[in-house]
Amino acid sequence: MNKLQRIQPPLLPVETGLIPEARICFLRNKIPVYLIKAGTEDITRMEFVFRAGQIKEYLPLLSSTTNMMLTEGSQNYSSEELNQKFDYYGSQINLSSEKDCAGFTVYFLGKHIKKILELSREVLFRPVFPHKEFNILTRKRIQWYRLHRERVQNLAMDKFFESVFGKHHPYGKQIVEGDFETITPELLMDFHSKYYRPENMAVIVSGRIHKNMIDFIDSCLGDLNPQKIYIEDSKSYLQGGKTKKIKIQKPGAVQSAIRIGSTTINKRHPHYPGLKVLNSVLGGYFGSRLMKNIREEKGYTYGIYSSLSSFDLSGFKVISTEAGKKNSQKTIDEIYKEIRLLQTRPVKKEELSVVKNYMSGEMVRMFDGPFALAESFKAVWEFGLDNAYYYRLAEKIKSIDPDEIIELAQTYYNIDELYEIIAG
Amino acid sequence: MIKFTRFSLDNGLRIIVHEDRSTPLVAMNILYIAGSRDEDPDHTGLAHLFEHLMFGGSVNIPEYDIPLQLAGGENNAFTNNDITGYYLTVPSENIETGFWLESDRMLELNFSQENLDIQKNVVIEEFKQRYLNQPYGDAMLKLRPLAYKVHPYRWPTIGMDISHIEKTDLSQVKDFFFTHYAPNNAIITLTGRITPALAYDLSVKWFGPIDKRAVNKRELPVEPAQTEERILSLEKDVSSNALYKAWHVGPRTGENFHTVDLITDILAGGESGRLYTKLVREKNLFNEINAYTTADIDPGLVVITGKLMKGIDPLFADKAINEVINNLKNRAVGVYELNKVKNKFESSMVLSNTSVLNKAMSLSYYELLGDADIINNEIDFYKAVTTEMILETAQKYLIPSNCSTLFYNSTRND
Repeated sequence: MNKLQRIQPPLLPVETGLIPEARICFLRNKIPVYLIKAGTEDITRMEFVFRAGQIKEYLPLLSSTTNMMLTEGSQNYSSEELNQKFDYYGSQINLSSEKDCAGFTVYFLGKHIKKILELSREVLFRPVFPHKEFNILTRKRIQWYRLHRERVQNLAMDKFFESVFGKHHPYGKQIVEGDFETITPELLMDFHSKYYRPENMAVIVSGRIHKNMIDFIDSCLGDLNPQKIYIEDSKSYLQGGKTKKIKIQKPGAVQSAIRIGSTTINKRHPHYPGLKVLNSVLGGYFGSRLMKNIREEKGYTYGIYSSLSSFDLSGFKVISTEAGKKNSQKTIDEIYKEIRLLQTRPVKKEELSVVKNYMSGEMVRMFDGPFALAESFKAVWEFGLDNAYYYRLAEKIKSIDPDEIIELAQTYYNIDELYEIIAG
Repeated sequence: MIKFTRFSLDNGLRIIVHEDRSTPLVAMNILYIAGSRDEDPDHTGLAHLFEHLMFGGSVNIPEYDIPLQLAGGENNAFTNNDITGYYLTVPSENIETGFWLESDRMLELNFSQENLDIQKNVVIEEFKQRYLNQPYGDAMLKLRPLAYKVHPYRWPTIGMDISHIEKTDLSQVKDFFFTHYAPNNAIITLTGRITPALAYDLSVKWFGPIDKRAVNKRELPVEPAQTEERILSLEKDVSSNALYKAWHVGPRTGENFHTVDLITDILAGGESGRLYTKLVREKNLFNEINAYTTADIDPGLVVITGKLMKGIDPLFADKAINEVINNLKNRAVGVYELNKVKNKFESSMVLSNTSVLNKAMSLSYYELLGDADIINNEIDFYKAVTTEMILETAQKYLIPSNCSTLFYNSTRND
């Protein structure tokens, strides 16, 4: 047996190649529709995006509650009817509200497009925010909230956002149970009428694009009246808290959740692609330094990651893990040790080429298939960027050298500026 | 229609190839027919711990991850009651690296005490993170042994207890490998930018030289029919009461699997499911409620899990679930509702087939069930389900004497 010489096959360089461009069309009322044709199956993903995220909130929970109530009753259908119809046509729907944007995504088979568009219009532009459903949702959410606060991961992350962005800014504000009492259906109607508007939205369509898809969308949404209404955005400033190290006690916890990080540049900044590479080296993939050292060599944790995220007005980087309580201080020490190493010692060529190749493969995966394409499109479109960002990233992955990584680590990972939150 | 080619090697390894040139990637899935049901009751959690060890290097390759990352690839794995699945995606130009890596670890692992000790720690942290340090995280650890008395499904994949993981030694690990990890106990699927001819050549080259092994014959105890209702009440420091119910049903390949699956969709598929509509929306007894079938290869379960609203008596909530169940047993489901769950299945199948990786995992699994082509005709089994079949199947299985109920009560009075 095993007469074969088990010699490693040659590795070929991985190229990102040409990224398919979205085609843009405008409805009669100027709503932009981006079309990304891809895939082998007769299925379409349609995402309706509004600038209606938490950043627009003048009270906590307004954005998420408005969003969650969209499918809870409209002018023509009750909550039950809406949900039943979406299910009957086999669609999958996702409501989402994030820091900057909020919206609604629906996946459906081509044959049901007309019905799905009609239902989408109901949900997005004719919600009625009925009191009964609102009360049920609120009671459910209070219970979810209590459960959310049971988990050390959430205690740590909520406190992290508050520390990094400030307790008064929508990016940083922690929800307290009393916030659920202040929201009313009338406030939701007001928020909806200001931010779920045709002049404030885009549609991203991907997958199978049937010939007259754009006509269907136009006949469904093209008659909505855009109007310029004056809304004063709330004036709140991003300002991190003074205390950098915070410990939250949670009696009975068998693990501590650790979050270490701070605000940072976002996708619009020229250093961002380089910072992405640095993040990968540190903790952005399974072979990263943090994972190798703290999981694979020491066994302190099931997983440890560092990540980089962009918001419209800012961005943040965070290292996250849960570790057994007796190992949590050792884990933290190792995290700082790894950061210092990156600031002082050049990354070896072999290691850097693993990261580069892994990231090049990641970029291929980011554009594989209709839904990945749509998500990647949205991830730059939101920032007013386009595929040029991805080409810059691909270029940086190829060209970055160990010196640049040291420089980035020194500039962006100043240990004195990092917040350290431990819950558990 | 998912077209595929199927062949097997002399050593018994089965290989399926589905070429899809719309992607620059190839997905490779290796299904080993070994899961937690193959464990000794005194050493549970071994199949899953073993999955971790598969990343600690093999006989000719010191480390699994680095060469794959150099090839631009990504991988992961999972273990369940019945199988262990390993999967990777890699840009097509580097697919041979996948063959090299996977065949080497099928050939033999680099068994080291050091790696075992570290991965035991990692798995123990996983046990804590996912099952112990989560509210309700241990519910299935309690429900399984209530429903199953003798069959290995009575313990979860992570293991019955942390002590089982702690005491695992190297000889058990080696033994598990040579009796379960074998070409004649695996199914490989390749999907994406690869021709069947290339897949064949590479399979012969890399997996062909691995010898057939004597795989443990599975002789599992048959779970005796449950004859009376089982109830367990626990008091835990959680924010609210929860309720878990399980009924025994048939195996994944049994004649009424599809009917059972649609029953759980009628009960809880999407926001318009009956349990959600009645008990969350109308009566406001539950905060969330779900129903599913475990779809296990040996006879499985239908499970309902629900979290109660504050102040609701668990016995009252249980009664309300039973009313919904009784309604399903007493009155035929309407055509609209039945079509709704069938439509939903159809689109979820299409949605799953948009990903090369999902296609690879499904094809391997269907081949294990008997024929990879089930991926193309399973929808027909769902379409053939009638209202009478729903009625009969609900009457057959969803009865109190076949049911186990776990009351997971909060000790707090706030």
